[in-house]
Amino acid sequence: MSDVPQSRPGVIHDLGYRRYDGLREGTATIARTLFITGLRHAYGLGRSGKSKVMPFLLLAMSVLPALIVVGVVVLTGMSSLPISYADYTNQTQLLVSLFAAAQAPVLFSRDLRHRSIVLYLARPLSAPLFALMRWLSLAVALWFFMAVPTLLLFVGAMLSGLDKSDQVTQLLKAVALQTLLALLVAGITGLISSVSLRRGFAVVGSVMALIVLTGVVTAIQAIAADQDADAVSVAAGLFSPWSLYTGLANAWDAGVETFVPVDGAWVLAYALVALLLVAGCLLGLVARFQKVGSR
Amino acid sequence: MRFVTGELTGLAPVISTAGLTKHYGAVHALTDLTVEVGAGVTGLVGANGAGKSTLIKILLGLLEPTGGHARVLGHDIEEASEDIRRLVGYMPEHDCLPPDVSASDFVVHMARMSGLGASAARERAADVLRHVGLDEERYRPMGGYSTGMKQRAKLAQALAHDPRLVFLDEPTNGLDPAARNDMLRLVERIGGEFGIAVLVTSHLLGELEQVSDHVIVLDGGHLLRSSATGDFIEHTGSLLVEVVGTETERDLLGEALAKRGLTCRPRGAMVAIDPPPTELAHEGAAFDLIRDVAAELGLGLMRLQPDRRHLEDVFLDGGAAHV
Ligand SMILES: Nc1ncnc2c1ncn2[C@@H]1O[C@H](COP(=O)(O)OP(=O)(O)O)[C@@H](O)[C@H]1O
Ligand SMILES: [Mg+2]
Repeated sequence: MSDVPQSRPGVIHDLGYRRYDGLREGTATIARTLFITGLRHAYGLGRSGKSKVMPFLLLAMSVLPALIVVGVVVLTGMSSLPISYADYTNQTQLLVSLFAAAQAPVLFSRDLRHRSIVLYLARPLSAPLFALMRWLSLAVALWFFMAVPTLLLFVGAMLSGLDKSDQVTQLLKAVALQTLLALLVAGITGLISSVSLRRGFAVVGSVMALIVLTGVVTAIQAIAADQDADAVSVAAGLFSPWSLYTGLANAWDAGVETFVPVDGAWVLAYALVALLLVAGCLLGLVARFQKVGSR
Repeated sequence: MRFVTGELTGLAPVISTAGLTKHYGAVHALTDLTVEVGAGVTGLVGANGAGKSTLIKILLGLLEPTGGHARVLGHDIEEASEDIRRLVGYMPEHDCLPPDVSASDFVVHMARMSGLGASAARERAADVLRHVGLDEERYRPMGGYSTGMKQRAKLAQALAHDPRLVFLDEPTNGLDPAARNDMLRLVERIGGEFGIAVLVTSHLLGELEQVSDHVIVLDGGHLLRSSATGDFIEHTGSLLVEVVGTETERDLLGEALAKRGLTCRPRGAMVAIDPPPTELAHEGAAFDLIRDVAAELGLGLMRLQPDRRHLEDVFLDGGAAHV
């Protein structure tokens, strides 16, 4: 590798072609650039004005109740938050799901639909790394979406003088659970968006997988619990990302109630299913990007 | 290798393949291809389905070959695909531009995806967009571009990171004659003035001859031939000669050349000369003879060039042999 500039024939005059002899970053830096660009795009930053409307509107809607809770807690001096951190995310799950459904196509459909994926894959990043970075962008965007109201609640709790160590423990549990949920939801909506390239279909698909499916699972869980079929109720929770989240939160004492407590071997099953689901979605994404990239 | 500041390839071939094969089930897209590509412009010619795009995708590591080996810029395609992709540019044959982004933003982003920093990427994008001839339009969303402008934007992203080699897959596809000519001139400049090796494909058999130093002809996944553009002319080609004056001068030259053993016939204002007989077939002999005869007759030579149609003839002749 030499730093000596090479003379190329014909490159003399001013307006001629200029070579680039500067630094070329390694794969890690390129991957980070892709990740940050993707994260910004998930919120419409660096894109058109109207792409910012949806993500920020949803974010505002998910923050508003937290602001009200904080106001009430601070003014009335309650001895505890009326809702746990982890449960707040659960209660605003419709907004989280909508954010994921609406923004996943931005990161997972566009490159495939317009085939710019080919231009990415002809560059240093490999298909697996590209898929991984896209997934991380959406996951972090989702995590941020959930973390903002969570942190607001925590600030409120601190302002009203609630016990700090209790609150920090609850907060950290919630953040860990939200991280897992973000990875899970990003994988599911990402995979759906990479398969159904029409934005409308992708959004509908994600809504089905997150909102409709969760509704069905919740109904089955409720009926089973009512019929004292506890095992069925807990087992049904394995079939939707939100019931996995609430189940694990319940098992971990993070302040979320489920129809039937999740305990014993079920905890392991929930954790295992969540991780397998994440891994499966990632493998699916890599396969999908590789296939379209070679066409 | 993380940081590359542009080494010399020396005399090593830019691309070399050995027995490269790609089969899709029963479809034999590429069969036992062994070729070498050097600096300058290399045309990769063949009818639709000949395997041109397949070859490029294998060299880029986007497709895995069923058999054989290849090296690009000294790197093995299987072991060092990432290193190759740092050093090459690729202009695909199909649409690959997001419609809601401007060419300027897009080329900057693609330069960064090749490892350039933010400010270097902006500078390079401005440079290459100027070179490909996208001016004010570069700030408009690419969805509104004409085919010619899209092809230019696609070319710009391929050049954004100052590659050592570019793969241009059918860059003239869909262009009108004027835009096609502009694109061919650009290709020629990239291989010459820019000093970037070019592998450019076309399904139009005669088109690339004007700008290529070397031509590879594929037919049904098989190598038909690979040689310097000049060699095509020496071996098989006819020549076209034009002298200053009218038909009288044209015929004067034709008759004189016929007496010296060349088979001539008039074509328009020019004399078309059949492939020279063996005693005149060695390098440059026919050229020298024509020049001397014209000088003896006191005729001014306006043009002496290979007959452009001959590449197609090569293809057709060779193709027949495979059937
Ligand atoms: N993914 C694929 N599956 C099956 N056959 C393919 C695939 N891609 C290309 N082919 C076939 O391989 C052959 C070569 O294709 P291609 O390399 O695109 O040719 P060219 O670029 O010269 O037009 C064609 O017969 C084409 O139909
Ligand atoms: Mg092709």
